[in-house]
Amino acid sequence: MESLDPRVNRLDLKGFQGNLTRKAPLDQFGTFEVFIQMKEGKPYQHEGIVHAPNEEMAFIFAKEQFSRRSTCSGLFVVETRNVFVTDFTEGEDTIYNYISDEFPKEGDKEEYEFFHLMKRGKQHQHVGSVEARTPQEALALAKPAFINEKPVFNAWVVKTSDILFTSEEDKHIWDTLPEKKFRDASDYKASDKIKAFKERNAG
Amino acid sequence: MYGGGNTFESAKFEGLENEDPQKLAEFEARIERGEKIEPNDWMPQMYKKQLIRMIEQHAHSEIIGALPEGTWITRAPGFKRKLALMAKVQDEVGHAQLLYSAAETLGKSREQMIDDLIEGKSKYSNIFNYPAFTWADSCFISWLVDAGAIVNQLANARGSYGPYCRALDRICAEESFHLKYGHHCVIHMATGTPKQRQMMQEAIDRWWGPMMHFFGPPDKVSVHTEVLMKWKVKMASNDECRNQFLDMYVPKIWELGFTIPDPNLKKNPETKKWEYTEPDWDEFKRVINGDGPCNAERLAVRRVAEERGKWVRQALLTPKTKYVTPLA
Amino acid sequence: MNETALKELLYKMADDQLIIGHRNSEWTGMGPLLEEDIAFSSMAQDKVGQSHALYQMLHSLGESEPDTVAFTRNAEQFHNCTLTELPNGEYDFSLIRHFLFDTAEAIRFELLTESSYAPLAQLAKKIQGEIRYHTMHANAWIKQLGSATEESVNRLQTSLEKALPYALGIFEPSPYEQELIAEGIFAGEEVLKEKWISRITEILSQTSLQLPDLSTLKPEFGGRTGQHTEHLQPLVEEMSEVFRIDPGAEW
Repeated sequence: MESLDPRVNRLDLKGFQGNLTRKAPLDQFGTFEVFIQMKEGKPYQHEGIVHAPNEEMAFIFAKEQFSRRSTCSGLFVVETRNVFVTDFTEGEDTIYNYISDEFPKEGDKEEYEFFHLMKRGKQHQHVGSVEARTPQEALALAKPAFINEKPVFNAWVVKTSDILFTSEEDKHIWDTLPEKKFRDASDYKASDKIKAFKERNAG
Repeated sequence: MYGGGNTFESAKFEGLENEDPQKLAEFEARIERGEKIEPNDWMPQMYKKQLIRMIEQHAHSEIIGALPEGTWITRAPGFKRKLALMAKVQDEVGHAQLLYSAAETLGKSREQMIDDLIEGKSKYSNIFNYPAFTWADSCFISWLVDAGAIVNQLANARGSYGPYCRALDRICAEESFHLKYGHHCVIHMATGTPKQRQMMQEAIDRWWGPMMHFFGPPDKVSVHTEVLMKWKVKMASNDECRNQFLDMYVPKIWELGFTIPDPNLKKNPETKKWEYTEPDWDEFKRVINGDGPCNAERLAVRRVAEERGKWVRQALLTPKTKYVTPLA
Repeated sequence: MNETALKELLYKMADDQLIIGHRNSEWTGMGPLLEEDIAFSSMAQDKVGQSHALYQMLHSLGESEPDTVAFTRNAEQFHNCTLTELPNGEYDFSLIRHFLFDTAEAIRFELLTESSYAPLAQLAKKIQGEIRYHTMHANAWIKQLGSATEESVNRLQTSLEKALPYALGIFEPSPYEQELIAEGIFAGEEVLKEKWISRITEILSQTSLQLPDLSTLKPEFGGRTGQHTEHLQPLVEEMSEVFRIDPGAEW
């Protein structure tokens, strides 16, 4: 069978037929959550996940999957199992109503990053960080600042050291992004051509 | 890129008698209020099953949908087209990634989904089982198949499941470039040389049937669909989507002086609905069940891609990271 | 400024970027995993975009339009090194080529940020970020696959040995080396090659891969003067199949 796609003909599909073994169950890579900052000064926002064997690859994959459009000034990845997640609330009920003031007091202080969900269906956004010994303590420490504010429906807490951030020297990997007009709808205007075509046909 | 239609028909509808009535009522009230369901929320089994099925088929349609247009990726004429087509086909792969991730939040791993695809257990949009004979076919796909997909996706983006809606918002934003690019290509073919016009007209003639199939057969009204509509899983009927597509794009095709191979196609001024010759639904069924011009090739390419990539994935696999369900 | 020398430099760079970008784009939709498929496609787009910028620069020096130059020449009119035109093979070969070529490309553009030809220096500065990502990507893959399983190490080693003579062809001296150096347009292929050797050695030394003694290899020259492998003409014909239906048409 000759394909219309020259690339497919080069794949030599026939050579593979009957030579397929089912993959080992779950030989799938780890899951990493990806956060993007569109512009300096804007909060980092959750954009999705990538599957990758380690955080270095996760960063490399995330860069093109989640920041190949518009603008970007920073990106970070964290392995999903390192994210501590609260329950969800709804209506006017903030998740901080359910944060206990009791927490384990062992361990060394470390920095934790906070991400809040302010509207169901939208993305989690970075709000800041606190020093604490455990994620529970971090939440308890954050509670006074948020409990009387706009309701937070879900919070994620991540140890800062578990995150792979963009290094300063890598920040210019996004420099030419705004110039890649071929990925932009505004680069495909052709109404003049239609107009000229209609006039030609009418006349 | 994804149409509708075949998603729900063959799924067995299980009753709700085993679900906790109070939780079900809260769940339905939340949807009624217009709030999104998130992965950790309680949800009926049937909701979860139908969503996995739908999002997975959508994801497969993206990854398979990269192939018909990919047919022309090495032959796009000129820099502008070459860059755009590379970026567009890449986007389809990116959309598959986003959609598989959304489906994963419901508990089925990407790998299981891809296995089901290449073993022929899952469906994908029927239109991608047709061949792209010339450059003009790729122009048709970029403009009109994407246009059809956008009609469907914009409807689904108003659905109730948070992760799917977020993926669709992103996809629809990216597809605005596809649509403009595709239209730009078709306009150039239409206003170009007689040869270009002829190529484009032939592509329209070839693709019109599959395009009408794209939205799926007229929906049967059943208790099943009513529940799915109440749960905002199914957002618009197949006929509504088809009508909306015809309304938006038939005039744009006609204004370029092309004909559409259906003498009965016209808008009824009273009902404001489009009338057309029913497409051949037997062909639709045949192709969906595997007997289309390109079904075998599409799946074979995916299988070979998986097979050839196996050593790469196995080399990098490490116990230091772990596959878990994505958070959102 | 010696325009003949400058144009020769620009043509070979533009043709390199176009042909390797084209080759890499063949993987789109068929990559070994979805995320990598996307990343590899972006880099292919970057390269084709860079070739366009270089053809545009040539156009401003009196050469034909970028589309005409790229889509109407025959193989013997191309000045790309033969490394870029070889078929993709399996992913190991594509990755090794990506690593060997992109390392040279990154150094070439670094050197060109100092070029006395201002438009070229400007372009080289502008695309540094893109190139940084390309080498970050290449180095990460080579380091990881180059020290992973027996199969991955063997595959990369075989591909490395196959690709190296062609990679040395990147540095085929130009007839205008002295002019380019004297006028400060470009530091020259020899300088580039020395830096390239030290950089690939540094990366490969972090893997289980063995770099053969390069002085024992015979470089595959010829590409820069239009003597190509049998793979380029079919590539060019395929690339321009639609364009040539009517080169005067707007597609």
